[in-house]
Amino acid sequence: MLPVMSVIEIDNLTKAYGSRRGIRNIGLSVKSGEIFGFLGPNGAGKSTTIRVLLGFLQASSGTAKILGHDCWTDSTVVRKQVGYVSGDVRLYPWLTLERALQFVGEVRKTDIRRHGMELAERFHLEPDLPVRKMSRGNRQKVAVVLALAHRPQLAILDEPTSGLDPLMQDALAVCMQEMANEGRTVFFSSHTLSEVESLCKQVAIIRDGTIVASEAIENLRKQAPRVVRITFDSIQSAEAVRWPDFVRLHSHHEKYSVLHMDGPAAELIEWSVKQPITDIDISPPSLEAVFRKFYSDTPTGVTA
Amino acid sequence: MKGLLRKICLEIRWPVLFFSLGLTAIMSILTWVLPTILGDIDKFFDAVPLFKPLIAALLGVNPDSQFSAEMTQAFLWVHPSVLATIWGHEVMYCTRIPAGEIDRGTVDFLLGLPVSRWKLYLVETFGWLVSGLIIICAGIFGHMCVAQKFVSEMQPTPGTTLMILCNLFSVYIAVGSFAFFISSMSDRRNRAIGITFSILLFSFLLNFLAQFWQPAKPWAKLSVLEYYRPATVIQSGDFPAIHVGILLGIGIVCWTVGGIILSRRSICTV
Repeated sequence: MLPVMSVIEIDNLTKAYGSRRGIRNIGLSVKSGEIFGFLGPNGAGKSTTIRVLLGFLQASSGTAKILGHDCWTDSTVVRKQVGYVSGDVRLYPWLTLERALQFVGEVRKTDIRRHGMELAERFHLEPDLPVRKMSRGNRQKVAVVLALAHRPQLAILDEPTSGLDPLMQDALAVCMQEMANEGRTVFFSSHTLSEVESLCKQVAIIRDGTIVASEAIENLRKQAPRVVRITFDSIQSAEAVRWPDFVRLHSHHEKYSVLHMDGPAAELIEWSVKQPITDIDISPPSLEAVFRKFYSDTPTGVTA
Repeated sequence: MKGLLRKICLEIRWPVLFFSLGLTAIMSILTWVLPTILGDIDKFFDAVPLFKPLIAALLGVNPDSQFSAEMTQAFLWVHPSVLATIWGHEVMYCTRIPAGEIDRGTVDFLLGLPVSRWKLYLVETFGWLVSGLIIICAGIFGHMCVAQKFVSEMQPTPGTTLMILCNLFSVYIAVGSFAFFISSMSDRRNRAIGITFSILLFSFLLNFLAQFWQPAKPWAKLSVLEYYRPATVIQSGDFPAIHVGILLGIGIVCWTVGGIILSRRSICTV
């Protein structure tokens, strides 16, 4: 296990595209052994950030380092330690998995065939099928296998589960978890909030080219409201109720009320015992509401 | 290096074979038919007055009313179909990186590997030079076979052939390097090919224009054919050192600038 250190260090990073929006003053730190989720709506700057990290784009200002190496000037050294799956996987049509493992292994100067074939088995890939005959999902799987076959210190995966069926998404999640358990790092962007919630300990949310949140998922969860559905014994009771300060009324219909509540449920339970309530349903904290708040300019579903 | 070379081989083997066979066929046929056609060229000269300056522009020397065997040999080396085949191959090849890779979206996969852009550029250059040699040698092979067996007056001396080959290969280097340079700035392969071919065609036509239009004469120096004169080489027997030097100079400048641009530019997706 590697000692905990910063695998990715981004400081005040800006990439301007003229009139087009790029990224502005981004700062991030990803520690080794983490599965780090990078979230944001389409066009927010996720792929631009990733392309700067891989040395495809030169930053307008600021620095980006991977394992202590500058991502632009030492990009070849950086890419030795990194496995990358692009957001829009395109591979050479003549490539088969077998050929690809040989080609990538020769370029990386290491034999990756054994581990590559193990991964291929886990992802149910045919080693001799050319890319031109593959479905989108299979091409995605080949890209994942090629990115992970050399056991990189850091995997940068740009929406890696897009195009994968749920079983293969699970297989990829297992691979990512194994990497983290071995002290290696995964930095991945995604739109699927459930997989981010289940896999990541740390997330960053980018919107309009700037980071709007970067913290532990547990901290975000603390910010997330619980959704409470209360059924009163009559319409009159529902209308007469005085809501305590720790809840916010979201919607109300005859005997039913939907509330949002931050913090633990104990106070609510204590309060509800004294009310003419026939049923109460308290959901776990919803991270989706938090993400939506960060994604959109106007918060939705967080406050009543 | 080995992996990248393997990739190039897999990708270009069929086009190189196709262009090699094409040039072999073209040069064999031209070697076979040119003496017959050019033997009666005076009839064309009389019937179409424009024809003689066109031939003169192509050869770089004024042909007599009767085409000598030497001129016939020279005509083979500057025939538009020969040049078009060689240039067609190299313009397509030299726009593979980065324009071709960006265009088909595979650049992320390629640049995601731990290989510097300069190394990629060098390996591509190696493939370009070797494939050019293969194609040109295939053409020479076709020419020699037919010349030896059937048309003895078209059989060049080895020394002359080598000098013309040097000149032709320096044209190949200048044109290919220019294509690399255009490609290094482009995200679209078709655009890079289009721009390179347009400039090449303009340079080619400038050579003809200078024959008919006096103001275009000083600009003829911009034409690539100005530095490729097999007729003069065959007539004088001298190595065209200045022409080869100029072409190699153009090639080295374009190639180097192309490499610098590629190594420093941001690679975006299209």
